[in-house]
Amino acid sequence: MTLGGFILKNALRNKRRALLSVLSVAVSLFLFITLQVALRELTQPPEDLGSSLRIIVRNRVSLVSPLPARQLQVIEKIPGIVAVTPFTFFGGLYKGDERFTSFAQFAVDPVRVKDVIIDAKVDDTEYASWVADRTLCIVGLDTARRYNLKRGDRMQFTGTFFPCDLDLRVAGFYHGTADDRTVFFHQRYLDEALGNPGTVGCWWARAASPEDAALVTARIDQAFANSSAEVRAETERAFQLGFISMWANIKVLIGSICTVVVFTLLLVTVSTMSMAIRERFRELAVLKALGFRRRELLGFILAESFGLSMLGAVLGAGGAWLLYRNLDIQKLANGVFLAFEVTPRMMGMAFAIAALLGIFSAIGPAFSVARTSVVEGLRTLD
Amino acid sequence: MPAVFTLLIDSFLAITALGIAAVFLTAFLSAVPVKYNLKSVYIRWRSTLATVVGIGLVVLVFVLLQSLAVGIEKSNASTGDPRNILIARKGATAESSSLVTRAQLRTLQYFEEIERNAEGDPVISADVLVLASLPRIGPSGEANVLLRGVTARGMELRPQVQLVAGRWFSPGRREIVVSRKLAGRFANFKVGDSFKTGPALLTVVGWLDGAGSAYDSECWMDADESRSLFEREMYSTFLVRPKNPEAATNLIRRIENDKRLQLRAESETGYYRKQTLTAAPIKWLAGFLALTMSIGAVFAAMNTMYAAVGARTREIGTLRVLGFHRRNVIVTFLLEGILLAMLGGALGCLISLKWNGYTTATLSIESFSETVFAFTITPVLVGQGMFFAAALGFWGTLLPAVRAARLPIISALKSL
Repeated sequence: MTLGGFILKNALRNKRRALLSVLSVAVSLFLFITLQVALRELTQPPEDLGSSLRIIVRNRVSLVSPLPARQLQVIEKIPGIVAVTPFTFFGGLYKGDERFTSFAQFAVDPVRVKDVIIDAKVDDTEYASWVADRTLCIVGLDTARRYNLKRGDRMQFTGTFFPCDLDLRVAGFYHGTADDRTVFFHQRYLDEALGNPGTVGCWWARAASPEDAALVTARIDQAFANSSAEVRAETERAFQLGFISMWANIKVLIGSICTVVVFTLLLVTVSTMSMAIRERFRELAVLKALGFRRRELLGFILAESFGLSMLGAVLGAGGAWLLYRNLDIQKLANGVFLAFEVTPRMMGMAFAIAALLGIFSAIGPAFSVARTSVVEGLRTLD
Repeated sequence: MPAVFTLLIDSFLAITALGIAAVFLTAFLSAVPVKYNLKSVYIRWRSTLATVVGIGLVVLVFVLLQSLAVGIEKSNASTGDPRNILIARKGATAESSSLVTRAQLRTLQYFEEIERNAEGDPVISADVLVLASLPRIGPSGEANVLLRGVTARGMELRPQVQLVAGRWFSPGRREIVVSRKLAGRFANFKVGDSFKTGPALLTVVGWLDGAGSAYDSECWMDADESRSLFEREMYSTFLVRPKNPEAATNLIRRIENDKRLQLRAESETGYYRKQTLTAAPIKWLAGFLALTMSIGAVFAAMNTMYAAVGARTREIGTLRVLGFHRRNVIVTFLLEGILLAMLGGALGCLISLKWNGYTTATLSIESFSETVFAFTITPVLVGQGMFFAAALGFWGTLLPAVRAARLPIISALKSL
């Protein structure tokens, strides 16, 4: 019998215990990966090509305060800006939703928006028909799939922020951006429904190059300083991170849950492994009597616990990777999560934890085996 | 689909509860003394300790997350005066997104359902709500704060809110009174400080305390000052006091039926109680974690109990020879497992109490602003945590206990 075979036989001698240990490691690492993915998804919004170029201009007071429509002419003339469009969050409720609709609706200038959101791919005839008719809208492909929308379908939204409702028809679909869920409609339609208040929600602009972006945001802020509607211009990235920081302690919360999970896992596995060793105390004493050295005994124990926890990692982390790759998470989480991607870094962390687990759970039993004399070991009954 | 799911979970919980109850009941009737279990646990303390602590941590995570959701709910549930009626625009999902006009205010003033004060004026307050994005203390960026423009009448209608430092704002001045709880989270919120929002510089003249209500997440200033500062033509909401409960019912119906007004009225307490969107994802997370972590914990408990059964094979044989039934053996092991798990549960609940009352904050999905609340650990929550622990013990011990009961007597006695 080879040494490897001996270790394998030992590990699987109590099949039920081996299975339970492997499974508890697997479940915990699955949970660890899930939490890490959720945390990443909540704190690192997806990007596309245009993200580094886009600039978001909002009212300095807060995101929900409107901006005067007359600012357009000023922003347009700022050097370094290629295009700018009004971008008004409507926040309506789609059919059946009573309190919360997971996809956004934005009122934009249909001609200008094409030069701001450059990643969106739209069919030319669909786009032309949208521009021509202010009661039409362009729908993100993910939303269209989710609600099974076809061209010409009606989309009605009940206003929550705005004292008006929308009654739109689908002109076509777009895809190719980081988030293909939004519904775009004409700012003019909203203006008319509200009685032309002369305001917009935000401005979205595109800088000529990413290097320009910082300079351009400063210029925009400067242009409206000390006016009745001061603005805050930020790159899309900074804007998104600012939005996320409003969630306050969520990162700490999920981070500490991860720690507790890993700690619990460590505790339980260590105890199980030491149980397995203690049961075999007599055998190990016999091996010692036969002339195996401490080093070798330590090797046996380590290999066994390491192997079990690695198997758990393969099952748990690998299972999570497979599951989230093949699952339509967007549909399942009601649009809260978009991609749910397991990154190589997370897999690496999961395997590193498993490795540590294997080592830690071998240390205790290995020490007590090393300390015990052969005679004492042989005498042990339990 | 969700209905079926809920039914499934409910029936699972019911079976578990029945199982645990049966174990406790038979354990007290059964012949194997409980003392035997307690002693067994005590003797094997080292190997069981890890499982107990593991279960304790699972329960701790569950209770703490639930206590966050309870904290948000409690803050909303304890907001408002049951006699008050809140009137907002039809369709608005939050006070801050509601808009009501001066014309509507004029119409409402003549409604005879509304109480009059000593001067004969109707008790009605038109508030202005503005969200201001302000810097937090430290490097954690900005967050929205709800600035409420109130009138003297509005302050009378909200006796929950008390001044705890400084003085109230004077009308016509750019002064603001901030919540004491927000003062610990935002920069320049000390009495005497001033901060800039939009074109305006506001001076903090006092701190308010909302007695654990949603008002703890607000800053108050003069309504007219707020309107001129933020260029608001309209008000956000009306808060009124009807003459009596009967008048309140009539008022709600009258506003609902008045097609010209396009307003919706409901009791102030009812409005806040319905703000559940923020707590919902936390509850979901708590449920998800409880489910997955409990699977891991059940495996761990099974491992420990299988080992316990293995180590005590001879004892079990002895018990059987003495005349104890298989069912006595099952019950005695189940009881041991449940007691162990509940010990862990008690540990988890005890540790969680350390956070009870600790204030934290997140973004309210309804008001889109920073909302302050406290970890709130209620007796119900502790009960849930203990039941959760007992359920882990029950399911983790069931199979090992059955195995113990099915050991053949003779070979059990022969084993070492």
